Amino acid sequence: MEHELVEKEVARKSALIYLPISLGAALLFLFAATLFGNYPPVAKIGGAVWVGLLSLIVSMPLVTARIKRLRSPSS
Amino acid sequence: MTTQLKTVSLPVQGMTCASCVSHVETALKELNGTSNVVVNLATNKASLAYDPAHLTLDDMVRAVSNVGYSVPATELTLEVRGMTCASCVAHVEGALNELEGVTSAVVNLGLGTARVTYISGVVTTSAMKRAVREVGYEAQERSEGADALDRERQVREEEIKRQGRNLLIAGIIGVIVMIGTFYDMLGPLKVFVPVWLSYKWVIGLLTTPIVLGPGRQFFTNSWRGLTHGVTDMNLLYATGIGAAYGIAVINTVFPTAGFGGEGATFFESAALLTTFIILGRWLEALTRGRASEAIRKLMKLQPKIARVIRDNKEEEIPADEVEIDDLILVRPGESIPVDGIVKDGYSAVDESMLTGESLPVEKKTGDNVIGGTLNKTGAFKFNATRVGKDTALAQIIKLVEDAQASKAPIQKLADWVAGHFILGVHILAVAVFVFWFFIGFQLFFDPNSSFILSPYKLGEIGVFGFSLLLSVTVLVISCPCAVGLATPSAIMAGTGKAAEHGVLFKTAEAIENASKLQTIVFDKTGTLTKGEPSVTDVIETSNFKFQTPNTVLRLAAIAEKNSEHPLGEAIVRGAQTRGLTLVDTESFNSIPGQGVDAKVESLNVLLGNRKLMHERNVDIGELVKEAERLEGDGKTVMFVAVDGQAAGLIAVADTLKEYAAEAIRHLHRLGIETAMITGDNRRTAEAIARQVGIDHVLAEVLPQDKAVEVKKLQALGKKVAMVGDGVNDAPALAQADVGMAIGSGTDVAKETGDVILIKDDIRDVVVALEVAKATMRKVKQNLFWAFFYNTLGIPLGAGLFYPFISLIISPELAGLMMAISSVTVTLNTLLLKGFKPSIRREDKPQQDKGHLTPQLATASGD
Repeated sequence: MEHELVEKEVARKSALIYLPISLGAALLFLFAATLFGNYPPVAKIGGAVWVGLLSLIVSMPLVTARIKRLRSPSS
Repeated sequence: MTTQLKTVSLPVQGMTCASCVSHVETALKELNGTSNVVVNLATNKASLAYDPAHLTLDDMVRAVSNVGYSVPATELTLEVRGMTCASCVAHVEGALNELEGVTSAVVNLGLGTARVTYISGVVTTSAMKRAVREVGYEAQERSEGADALDRERQVREEEIKRQGRNLLIAGIIGVIVMIGTFYDMLGPLKVFVPVWLSYKWVIGLLTTPIVLGPGRQFFTNSWRGLTHGVTDMNLLYATGIGAAYGIAVINTVFPTAGFGGEGATFFESAALLTTFIILGRWLEALTRGRASEAIRKLMKLQPKIARVIRDNKEEEIPADEVEIDDLILVRPGESIPVDGIVKDGYSAVDESMLTGESLPVEKKTGDNVIGGTLNKTGAFKFNATRVGKDTALAQIIKLVEDAQASKAPIQKLADWVAGHFILGVHILAVAVFVFWFFIGFQLFFDPNSSFILSPYKLGEIGVFGFSLLLSVTVLVISCPCAVGLATPSAIMAGTGKAAEHGVLFKTAEAIENASKLQTIVFDKTGTLTKGEPSVTDVIETSNFKFQTPNTVLRLAAIAEKNSEHPLGEAIVRGAQTRGLTLVDTESFNSIPGQGVDAKVESLNVLLGNRKLMHERNVDIGELVKEAERLEGDGKTVMFVAVDGQAAGLIAVADTLKEYAAEAIRHLHRLGIETAMITGDNRRTAEAIARQVGIDHVLAEVLPQDKAVEVKKLQALGKKVAMVGDGVNDAPALAQADVGMAIGSGTDVAKETGDVILIKDDIRDVVVALEVAKATMRKVKQNLFWAFFYNTLGIPLGAGLFYPFISLIISPELAGLMMAISSVTVTLNTLLLKGFKPSIRREDKPQQDKGHLTPQLATASGD
């Protein structure tokens, strides 16, 4: 039971970190695509979604594992 | 308060690559109270030690399922006798539920059964039966209940069936999708295909059940992992399939959305990518089980029934219920159920399944028999000495399983690489996308370019679609599944192959170390030599009055008949093996430190050393030269005088074991340096070394200093193995890079050694080395192929060559390549099945018996 509560807490704290990171990466892409070149809006948005998704996939396990380690008494 | 750690081996389902291994390991390590966590992909098992005060099995099962895998539960039905009411039900259920490893137990009073759901490997059926018996009922396994072996096979077959079903669905629909996609290129065959099959929305409708049906496993597994902070190769597939399918749907439903329109619907990519990945999974499931065939063969040897004689009646009982000292009857053609000692009868037993020894071994009263071996000719009765998990077969199975569950250092490195690889690949996928989006597309895109092995043109694809395609292909082509399988599959096949030949590696690390050995140090007594003296030479003087053969030996043996001295016993044995009749002495007098004086057949026989002969004024001048020659060879010489006249001499020595010289010759052929370590004096030791062909002699070494000698060799930068059998060899076995214990040796030696040679055959050292080398060669080949595919695939997938060849690799082709990489690695491993050690390939092994000169016995041994 306690284990499950810890898991939930870790998931919540991690989401507070990796979601802004992913969103930031997506916005950065959108900004760059708007600034450099004449891309159709759909390509810009599609690209931002893809970059955001991949950033989420990269940051989610890294952040979650890090938060778990920080919570672990042995760390 | 300290609690004792428990060890457990949990089956884990759903692992497909090295990163899965790393995730499960991490999940279990993160639990408070676990240690020594080792997860093995090939065996699908997680072994760990845990503190029951902090942790329960449920916590571990939950931790594993939280990261996207499962600990499969097995069901078993027990027939329970003696239950009469509802409280009986509660008792039986309570007793079963209290067992660790039992997840649920439901008793049906009407049927008299208990349906138990449990984790195999954690609790055994005999423990369940015992628990039921302890609360006052009788329990028996239902005949249809599968045993551990069947369950393992059942799980594998279910996976093959599941992936086969998925493959059938995805394959059939995938082919229809392909036909529809390439409708315009069908030429005259078009008449057989309805035109509506080429409509994008029809192709989309056909692809959807592939992605959401057989392909759903990748999405659910990867999502479960992601939410717990882990990534595995399911994620690579999920993002690849999801992106291809998502874009295709958008381009079909909203062709003007700007993603490339109808010309860039890659439904066939999503469909075929799913199909090929599932093809890989199916082939992997088919071939993976074969790598562990050896352990299954061993498990199959475990007999199920024993015929026990109780109260003078034969009774058939389950073999696992045999108790120590039970008298068991074995008839011709039957398997021996447990280990024991023959009490009555005579037979020949085929022990080849355990020892690799092809000839049946004779068994008579007093001989040991091993459970699992096959009785060939006669019937006999024996007393059980070791039962259940203590039998030799059960211990061999456990050793092989433990070795297969352990990790070689090279595997730890490969797992680490593969574990970090997936995140790296996703970062690379972002980089590839960003590069082609902002730079590559404008600079290099050619509307006439196409996919490799496809006439499909990329003309209408936009910047986003093109960049996305390359990004997705990188994800798919980078899957490290073959990397994860490379080492464990080869280790599993190697340990199994070694076990077939009577060589048990305790860990995967032992295999890796054995493959790198440069020097092998042999203990002398009991390892290279038999450890008991025997008569080697008998010389009679020319003027000896009895000219009948063997008279000197016969008289000496009669004189020594009552002696308990090892040399005297050797002479008596020597006479008996030559078929000489030994009558009783008329008188006998032992002269301490010199010999014996006896009256035999009215003759005064004197047997002893020079000093005795000198004191009794016996002239041994004629024999001195021969005696010195024999002593030079390290033999012990005893003179024989009859009625005050020198009659001859008898030389006694420890004898070399069969095949010792042959084994050393083979080791030299493999480029291995050999050394012998002994407490004997240098002259004796060197004589032995000369006979057997050993390179270096470490003589006059005290037992406690053997480990120091091994350490000295290691300090020279050599990888050293120690081969020994005695308690005094244990420190050296532990110190060596690889300790090899002879099966006939002491338990301490076997516990300390990294490798156990079941038979008392020194040539198995060569077998161990050759199997280890072949296994590590296979590991390296596998790793090469695994990394070769990724190294070649990633630049190709990322479009590195696109500016020059205007071709890109499609996601489905990338999927096919990855499927092939896994299958290549597994098939390559299966080639080990045909491996035969060189020493076993020789049809008629060279018999060393003929030219082995036995050597001096040392009472102290070494």
